[in-house]
Amino acid sequence: MQVQLKEIAHGRSGDKSDTSNLCIYARKPKYYQAMKEQLTPAAVKKHFEGVVFGDVIRYDLPQLDGFNFVMHHALDGGATRSLRLDTLGKTMEAALLRFVIEIDEK
Amino acid sequence: MKTVRIGGGQGFWGDLNDAPITMAKNDNVDYIACDYLAELTLSIMRRQKEHNPERGYARDFITALKQMLPMIKEKSIKVLTNAGGMNIKAAVEAAKEAIKESGLNLKIGYVLGDDVMDIIPELRKQGISMNNMDTGEAIDSILPRMINANVYYGSEPIIECLQGGADIIIVGRSTDTAMWLAPLQYEFGWKTGEWEALSTGILAGHLSECGAQATGGNYDYDWKHVPEPEFLGYPIAEISEPGKLVMTKTKNTGGLVTPQSIKEQLFYEIHDPKKYLTPDVVADFSNVTVKELEKDRVEVAGVTGHERPDTLKLCVGYREGYRNIAYLPYSWPEALEKAKLAANILDKRMAMKDLKALEKRIDYLGLNALHGPMAHEINADLNEVILRYAIKTETKEEAFKLTPEIAPVSNLNGPAQGCFFGGRTKPSEVFALWPTLIPRDAIKLEAHVEEVK
Repeated sequence: MQVQLKEIAHGRSGDKSDTSNLCIYARKPKYYQAMKEQLTPAAVKKHFEGVVFGDVIRYDLPQLDGFNFVMHHALDGGATRSLRLDTLGKTMEAALLRFVIEIDEK
Repeated sequence: MKTVRIGGGQGFWGDLNDAPITMAKNDNVDYIACDYLAELTLSIMRRQKEHNPERGYARDFITALKQMLPMIKEKSIKVLTNAGGMNIKAAVEAAKEAIKESGLNLKIGYVLGDDVMDIIPELRKQGISMNNMDTGEAIDSILPRMINANVYYGSEPIIECLQGGADIIIVGRSTDTAMWLAPLQYEFGWKTGEWEALSTGILAGHLSECGAQATGGNYDYDWKHVPEPEFLGYPIAEISEPGKLVMTKTKNTGGLVTPQSIKEQLFYEIHDPKKYLTPDVVADFSNVTVKELEKDRVEVAGVTGHERPDTLKLCVGYREGYRNIAYLPYSWPEALEKAKLAANILDKRMAMKDLKALEKRIDYLGLNALHGPMAHEINADLNEVILRYAIKTETKEEAFKLTPEIAPVSNLNGPAQGCFFGGRTKPSEVFALWPTLIPRDAIKLEAHVEEVK
């Protein structure tokens, strides 16, 4: 079945100048594999189309059922110089929760 | 087994000022570390100091300190803070004044030397490049616009203050984590080279330095059920030996500590989990595990580390033009259409004034201001929406061109615009940051301890 990531995951995002990092964890270990297969750097970059303009790197944290994503050129130049409302990219993680993911069952 | 308990009393400048006071009153901590400095804070403090030589530090700390002083004395709590910001001496004077008023006898320590703005030209002459860490650009073009340059240093001078018997330590731009690591090195004798031990201190600091973010604040996992968020307890790290870390929070407060609250904070603003660079150690969080021991007590294990870098991070703040942002609220019916027409009117008025903007951004609050093109399209007739019209320019005069245009738009456009926000909008200066590296031996830090009676 298809669900939005918000049904099965939680996390937080932060910033370092123009780079956004977000960590995302499966709410239950059984969702980790589906996230690993579908939340590829390419898929995440496509999801953030028009927002993230640089490389997306994923670091796997299997013992925590999660991932840390680092996304470059993601914050319109960074908090200090950006015209964004969310200058620090605190809502980037929530934006990832819109990602549609295929899981076996809830 | 000896256990050292270190509380995280503040997560940023402007954070809940009651938190360290409640911690000192309600709990039994050995140290309270209060972090006031985000990346941009020093540039703002520097500007404050320009306007008033007595300012440029986090005065909130002095307000909290006044209430904490009796507990500092009675319970032998030591307090560390980077509240000194851009004016450490003024912060120390204010703290001394507060101690004198209290009638207590305490020792105050402070560290000078992170403010290296004056020596930047000399470092350039020596051939130190200071290229931008993110873009690789050469620093020379921004030097005439530089407003501050501060180096992130580690635990060493803070340990010196502790060895000198300081009860209260005020620093500027140490790393946040050094305020947790220094007490642990002082208490347990951990030395440079003991990378796993040092990483334990960094992990404790990283999990605590954002205050409530470890204890149920900004909690994605289950934010609806955080107990008493209006009285959230701030984090306390309990460290008993290298690798032994338990995270908890202030007794008899709201909030929570769960494996999820710790996981959410664990990689906050961290890039490669194997390489968390600090001046003291390169910490490796990649194998960290979390385990709930009991309610509000989470064991965090598995941290390791590697040799510290030869360079220190330097953050240069510089002026980069002006920003002017206006907010115009529109009501149902057809709120979005009216807001879009207003944006169009402003675009045309700005063109008539020959605005030379470096950047422009139009958002609709209530629709897409946070998620931009990722926000869902909405076909419904919104109850209300706010146009946010933002420009960035090279000069203040150019940015000011927007200001007189905002009020008239309320009459030029469709009906039912609420009054514009915050009165007349005005241009504000943009401070940009230049992150770079300098050799460790390019700077000299000085630790001082003074007795106050």
